[in-house]
Amino acid sequence: MIVAEEITRVYRMGKVEVWALKGVSFTIADGEFVGITGASGSGKSTLLHILGLLDRPTSGRVLIGDRDVQRLSDRQQTLFRLNRLGYVFQDYALIPELTAIENVIVTSLARGVSEKEYLKRGAEVLREVGLGDRINHRQSELSGGEQQRVAIARAIVHKPSILLADEPCANLDSETSKNILDLFKQLNEDLNQSIVMVSHEKWHERYFCRIIDLKDGLINSMRECNVNR
Amino acid sequence: MLENLKVASFLAFKQIQRGSKGTLILTIMIIALVFVNLVFLPSIISGVVETFNSQSINFNYGNLVIEPREGDQYISDVDALQKKVEQIPGIVGTSPRVSTGVTFFYKGRNARSTLYGINPQDERSVTTINERIVQGEFLSRGDTDKIIMGKTLAGTEGEEGGGLPTLQGVQVGDSVEVAFPNGERRTFQVKGIYETQSISVDTSAFTTTDAVAQVLGLEDQASQILVKTAVNGQEEMFRIRLLSYGVQQQVFTYEQKGAGFVNQAIQSFEIINAISTLVSLIIAIVVIFIVIFINTVNKRRQIGILKAIGIDKQIIINSYVLQVLFIATLGALAGIVLTAGVIYYLTVNPLVFPGGPVFPVIEPATVVRSIASLFAVSVIAGYIPAWKTAHEEILDAIQR
Repeated sequence: MIVAEEITRVYRMGKVEVWALKGVSFTIADGEFVGITGASGSGKSTLLHILGLLDRPTSGRVLIGDRDVQRLSDRQQTLFRLNRLGYVFQDYALIPELTAIENVIVTSLARGVSEKEYLKRGAEVLREVGLGDRINHRQSELSGGEQQRVAIARAIVHKPSILLADEPCANLDSETSKNILDLFKQLNEDLNQSIVMVSHEKWHERYFCRIIDLKDGLINSMRECNVNR
Repeated sequence: MLENLKVASFLAFKQIQRGSKGTLILTIMIIALVFVNLVFLPSIISGVVETFNSQSINFNYGNLVIEPREGDQYISDVDALQKKVEQIPGIVGTSPRVSTGVTFFYKGRNARSTLYGINPQDERSVTTINERIVQGEFLSRGDTDKIIMGKTLAGTEGEEGGGLPTLQGVQVGDSVEVAFPNGERRTFQVKGIYETQSISVDTSAFTTTDAVAQVLGLEDQASQILVKTAVNGQEEMFRIRLLSYGVQQQVFTYEQKGAGFVNQAIQSFEIINAISTLVSLIIAIVVIFIVIFINTVNKRRQIGILKAIGIDKQIIINSYVLQVLFIATLGALAGIVLTAGVIYYLTVNPLVFPGGPVFPVIEPATVVRSIASLFAVSVIAGYIPAWKTAHEEILDAIQR
């Protein structure tokens, strides 16, 4: 379970303070697929960064599984990201020198998984995202959709309890986007993962259990989706 | 810990394998050239020292020099002393010399220099001047009216000595008049001309002890006795051994005799070498720093991504340090190959110094020190930019 309590985030730009989040509170249950929506500049990405331990709130706290993650040291947060979270970036964020499978298994290496196991699991998860025949290709040899699927494979290879995705379909065509979202839905259902996904596409809503809509750094609305899930 | 090293090695290997080959080769070559620079000058200095030492031993002093006690002009009872010294284990030859400042006269020209009186047989047992005869022959016992002369002193017709004593064109068979300090003048026939490339020896002349002793009125006396030991490099031990065997006179090693000039020259060389080494290392630090800095700055986003997906920053730093170590290793190896090439060339075509041909001498300690300092500066220069970038905020690194 994810609990966000009165989260604020203030950026300083010279003498000017910019309030990206002004006090956001919500709870996400295990196995929920939550969409975060809102206009550009509403604080969606900032919120996701804080939930993904990539940024620290100016005030408020985030509890993940009853653990106040902001109180963790840098190193503990790194380990938390490694073992508990999966993060899909808008622009894929792959390492260009690595092949698809190497991008996927690099975190498994850090987790101390045996070579036999991580190679097997890496190939398996790439097959799951439809890249079974592209595992030895590098980023420059993959299309945008394929790169995003590698990024998803990397995020789910260790079956994290929470998957965070920052507009994963922003650079993809509708067909590829649909494939990606179908994959998320399947992971959510099969593995009971909590998924938090930033999106501003109306048609994505049918995949979400719940939508948290942000406006000017505050929760504008929070609603259950009436989709047939 | 092992896992961390595995991940760091994996990332380092992939970066090297698939990163820019041009940058990699350029960096390796720069390190190789720095290595050559670190090793080359010391090898020349060692070569100069080696040349000077071998000249000192072979032509000037032997390994040890026995000189008169303080206040005495000559060593007395030379025969007895010679026998005593030659019985000492490890001593393979002794050669008494009588030296005197003289003026040589030849075809209206004159030159002031040193004339040594020697026993030719004894001299052969200590020095190798007899092997350096370029015209005529070496002295023989009984040559009381013969002289051998250094090539510089003999000189060449019409050529000034440039500050060195020269008679400008003495040939074997010519007669040379010698004026001794006591006013006596003697005429000697030139029996041979030698060339050792040691300036002090090549501007001197040798005749037999009998010839000089007759003029100076000496009997069983010598200005110095040169001593040859079986092996080089143990002069101090032999010096003490001579004293312990009851030699009452002053005993010097060839290094002590040549200390003033050589030490000054070597000290100057050492200062140049220290400056050159420092500059080379600074260049290495700056180059490696710039290369790694540019590399890490270009990879800031990747470093941010690696941190974002849970790779510890120490792993990231280590992966850059490993890359630098790999580059430094290849650079040092390439440097060893380049140095070997330069040394081979200079061994075949030695540098000609005033003291003779200088062959570069590479001392293992210099190589080890150079490799160690290259690795040290590489690690420092690689660690700092990697550390700096890895400690940036994740979002700053990713979003730039």
